[in-house]
Amino acid sequence: MEQLTTEMIMVMAMICVAIFLFIVEWIRVDVVAILMMVALPLLKLVTPNEAFVGFSSNAVISIIAVIIIGAGLDKTGLINRVVAPVLRIAGNSTSRITIAISITVAGISSFMQNIGAAALFLPAIQRVSKRLKIPISLLLMPIGFCAILGGTVTLVGSSPLILLNDLLVPFNLEPFNLFDVTPIGAALVASGIAYFVLFGRFILPRPKTPEETSDDASPHNPTDTYDGMGEPRELRTPEDFTHYREPLTIGELRRKYLVNVVALSEPPSLTTVNPPPDKELRDNTDLVLFGTEKNIQRLAEEEELVLKESLEVFRDTLSEENSGTVEAVVAPRSALLGKTLKEVKLAERFQVTPLAIHRQGRTLVTDISDVTLGVGDAILFQGTWKRLQDLHDEKLLIFTTPIDVEEMKPEKALFAGFWLAVALTMVIVFKIQLSVCLMTGALGMVITRVLSIDEAYQSVDWRTIFLLAGLIPLGIATEKTGTAAWIAHQVLGALGGSVPQVVLLTVIGVLATIFTLVISNVGATVLLVPLVVNMALAAGHDPRMAALVVGMATSNSFILPTHQVNALYMGPGHYRSVDFMKAGGILSIIFIAVMIGTIYVFYL
Amino acid sequence: MAVITISRGSYSKGKEVAEGVAATLDYECVSRDILLEASDRFNIPEIKLLQAIHDAPSILDRVGHGQVAYITYIQSALLERVKEGNVVYHGLAGHILLKGIEKVMKVRILANPDLRIAVVMEREQVGEKEARRRIAKIDEERTKWTRRLYGVDPWDPTLYDLVICIDKIKVEGATRLICEAASQEAFSLTDRDRQKLSDMALSCKLKSELLDIDHNVTVTAEYGNVLVFTKADDRKARKMEEKLGSLAGRFPEIHNVEVRIGTPKLSADA
Repeated sequence: MEQLTTEMIMVMAMICVAIFLFIVEWIRVDVVAILMMVALPLLKLVTPNEAFVGFSSNAVISIIAVIIIGAGLDKTGLINRVVAPVLRIAGNSTSRITIAISITVAGISSFMQNIGAAALFLPAIQRVSKRLKIPISLLLMPIGFCAILGGTVTLVGSSPLILLNDLLVPFNLEPFNLFDVTPIGAALVASGIAYFVLFGRFILPRPKTPEETSDDASPHNPTDTYDGMGEPRELRTPEDFTHYREPLTIGELRRKYLVNVVALSEPPSLTTVNPPPDKELRDNTDLVLFGTEKNIQRLAEEEELVLKESLEVFRDTLSEENSGTVEAVVAPRSALLGKTLKEVKLAERFQVTPLAIHRQGRTLVTDISDVTLGVGDAILFQGTWKRLQDLHDEKLLIFTTPIDVEEMKPEKALFAGFWLAVALTMVIVFKIQLSVCLMTGALGMVITRVLSIDEAYQSVDWRTIFLLAGLIPLGIATEKTGTAAWIAHQVLGALGGSVPQVVLLTVIGVLATIFTLVISNVGATVLLVPLVVNMALAAGHDPRMAALVVGMATSNSFILPTHQVNALYMGPGHYRSVDFMKAGGILSIIFIAVMIGTIYVFYL
Repeated sequence: MAVITISRGSYSKGKEVAEGVAATLDYECVSRDILLEASDRFNIPEIKLLQAIHDAPSILDRVGHGQVAYITYIQSALLERVKEGNVVYHGLAGHILLKGIEKVMKVRILANPDLRIAVVMEREQVGEKEARRRIAKIDEERTKWTRRLYGVDPWDPTLYDLVICIDKIKVEGATRLICEAASQEAFSLTDRDRQKLSDMALSCKLKSELLDIDHNVTVTAEYGNVLVFTKADDRKARKMEEKLGSLAGRFPEIHNVEVRIGTPKLSADA
């Protein structure tokens, strides 16, 4: 057996430093990764070339490409079309949405790279979070973990399992079939989902501030100043609304309850956006309006309208990706000074609805179109992002809230789908290296203008890239200096020759779990499989099961944000390392228990 | 369901006509009693209120703004009485105090000067010359009052829906004519008209509460949404907001109040 060298001790020390910094978070995790990238070559534990090899690694380039492909698919609304039916089944409940998307992602992930499935669905999950006002932190981690777990459902779901049969060849062991691992994988996915549904609310971090509920693109919610006026509410007139009453017009609703009706939908399916003031309300009409909660409640009560819990008919029209509210201030020397909104016809010209004016600590909502505008008046506007952008471009007003415009290109859906198909065909049929295939798809999307190259760059999160690239040299150092092999020998040696098979498999599972947190899952598999096969043979146990445990347990990577999927979701989900340790730690234990249990039931 | 104001030249038998109309239609007849109500509510001697509505504003009034305040008090008391409809008002300046409400039926009763002189001579026991002088004086005051305060001439027939010269038609004939006219759709109050009356009453009440902070305050109300316009500074505006906040409990019909510095864009109701 190899002797413990100084280099090995240094590598172990560096691993401890990295884990320590992950826990205490004196510096952010991606900075810890950069620290490793710099410290390891300085300590001569890796060569300078090896230190930065992560940036050119197949894995990191694949992730960049798959994020761009995901952004392209999202921009054309393709992912929405996949997610929409899933959401229809799931409704508005957080746990049902988690289950539905998790199963979908796990299903896709069982046949393709985990990170691919995770990256493709990231924009869609962000949308769902925004639209249904579910904190993103409650959705991303369960779904990300399920993407990882989905990789254990078939033999092509994750790199270690793809490798497994090749590693068994030298020992003349019978290779596994595609679905041999399915019972274990399915049990793992099921237990993962059950774990989050049952305990999610206790273990998942909840955002402290409202801003964190959705993407970090909306740092300031203007409606806070305006008594929650910026939230659309949907109401419906009853069947006998027009019986025995004087006709009620939109203008009257506005004057009576100080609400702004922005759209209404009459039977059979006639939708009017920005209905004129003289428009009369008819029976069975759905209308969506903005106003203070108090006034809306009063309206519903006095006029006997049905106030809906959430948007139904106008859920998509007024979803946060299409429209919203912004605050804009009248600037000195603005052409609007001394004029009223009615005089300048802003609402008509830009098809936006002024909801309120904030002036010297007062919020004005009554007859605001007649208010003579002065310097510093802040106006709350509602409209589609595109219309608000037009207003912004006119430079009449200074916008205090950034406009979250994201131009959708549904007409490019065919191109986006085509390039995804091209990339997948290259991988599956022509067996070309993953990064090349995915980058071809990403490039194709840029060339066919599904998204611009700038949008492609912007879609890639540098935190993810540095976190992954920076930890690769740590894995290299662990393997190159023989530290991994030494630890494996020590642990397995300590077990001795005569242990029950379940104990041996459990120890192998734990060892593979620990290894995969630091070194790559492929590296851990290549290192451990020969060792455990020999051990199992020596102890008279089934060597295939020992190898299988390694192949599976290298997907048991939840405790640190070092797995690609975790790294990808950490930024958008606003997670800290501690969150992964808490939620992932328990799941890792469940993983091992379920895996060993299923193997015991099905294979031993 | 209507509101009828009967404006009359003094000694023109308008009171009899008003009472006749009220009796026929089973309406409430309101007159000088609103002065008493205003006097009670705002703690102002009735004589001052009477002067305010009777005499043309003097220089002092125009500096002190007392008259505007008194008229607001009277208007407030009147609106409070008529806001439910079914009222005949034959006090002073009804057509002006209820300006802005389309459905109010405005009637003017006139009489031949000779008839008026005869009435004065009989009632006041004075000679013909004195009677003529008194009538001329009253008419002049009246004309000045409406001209100065509202810029209109009370003798302008277009201010009214119906002008009746009582001489030949007599009280009974005038009563019948008015009752018939009042039954027309144009004067029947709808829910919306009643709401408008109630809004006017509210804005008038609030205005009378705010006059001590700013005598130039303008208050409008629509469906209980109150807008207050003041040309005073921000400090006074805050004071008004505070006062209105404390009043909100007393007036459940208030839904929303906004105080703005400046003048209203459109002509205000109160």
